[in-house]
Amino acid sequence: MLTVLALASVVLLGIVPEQSQAITIYTGWERHALVGSDIRLSCSFFSWRWTSDDVTFSWTYRPDGSRDSISIFHYTGGEAYVDNKGPFRDRVEFVGNPGRRDGSILIKNLDFNDNGTFTCDAKNPPDIVGRPSSVRLLVFEKLPIQAGVITGAIIGVVLGLLVLIVVIYYLMRFLVARRVFSLSVSKHGKKKKEGSQQRQGPAPPADPSKVKAAASEKKKQESRKDKK
Amino acid sequence: MLAILGGIFVLHIAAIILLLVATIDNAWWVTDTMSTDIWGRWMKMGGVWNFTDLPTGSHYPQDYLQAVQATSVLACIFSFIALFVFIIQLFTLPKGQKFIISGALQLLACLFIMIAASIYTDRFHINETDGSYGHSFILAWIAFGLTFFSAIIYIVLRKK
Repeated sequence: MLTVLALASVVLLGIVPEQSQAITIYTGWERHALVGSDIRLSCSFFSWRWTSDDVTFSWTYRPDGSRDSISIFHYTGGEAYVDNKGPFRDRVEFVGNPGRRDGSILIKNLDFNDNGTFTCDAKNPPDIVGRPSSVRLLVFEKLPIQAGVITGAIIGVVLGLLVLIVVIYYLMRFLVARRVFSLSVSKHGKKKKEGSQQRQGPAPPADPSKVKAAASEKKKQESRKDKK
Repeated sequence: MLAILGGIFVLHIAAIILLLVATIDNAWWVTDTMSTDIWGRWMKMGGVWNFTDLPTGSHYPQDYLQAVQATSVLACIFSFIALFVFIIQLFTLPKGQKFIISGALQLLACLFIMIAASIYTDRFHINETDGSYGHSFILAWIAFGLTFFSAIIYIVLRKK
């Protein structure tokens, strides 16, 4: 039993180093933004090793329809280096936290020329083997409403109205029944004080139009007559 | 009594199935190479069926499309709720009473699928020469008839 366990742990330890060399990088898939607004492109990674002091983040940009990409951001040795010559000069800001494996950047004052693919590459020495991850940026003049939102809104509103109608109906019934009951109890109390047996016919209900109220009134009248 | 109950139940389930197929399956309008609907469009390109988005334009009004989507989904939902309410009312309704609430809900479902099918008939594919209405469209209209019939039965039937 112990030998089996020892063998298994040795095998696992042999497999894990293979896996631990791969770093996985996460960015969004697609981002939508309005012209003139700012957008935060997030990038984080997962690595089996502890976050080293030599961790690096690199962002490159490839315009839509072009095959070349240019580098717009690089973080290394504890220093962030932003684009100072290219299309994003003075518009890129580092808002990430390398200690928390976050290498996000903020791009300010977007324009239609910024449509394209942004690729984040992170390295955590000795974990350097990994696949860079890309996020596609789409800049709109007016944000389009997504496909299913309006449909879902209509469905939600109709169902909500139905639930509201049911709740109001039961609430009305409950309130009216309570009001009638309390009124009839007070009337019964008054009559007992006078000690009379004048009321033989049906007593006037609180709301003559509500048939149910009259029915419950009658029931209570009959139960009171039975008690008498 | 039991036979009638079984028949009504089967009718309701059939109506629900027809509504679901009409809503979910993308086949309101078909041609040789295309099968399109309220959610997306299947196009046969190079022998392979691909699922693409519906076109946006004046001949495909977006607001009417969303109305058709919403009302057909609501029809399915209301028919489901009517079935549950019918089963509940079977046990809780006092004798001699009618299944009014289930009938009302089923009638609502009938109304909604009628709205969906009518809007689709009136606003989409009015000038197209190629193609014909697909099975989802036909089932939507059949479901309208079935739900109406089922609702009438609920409203007329008395519990024994």
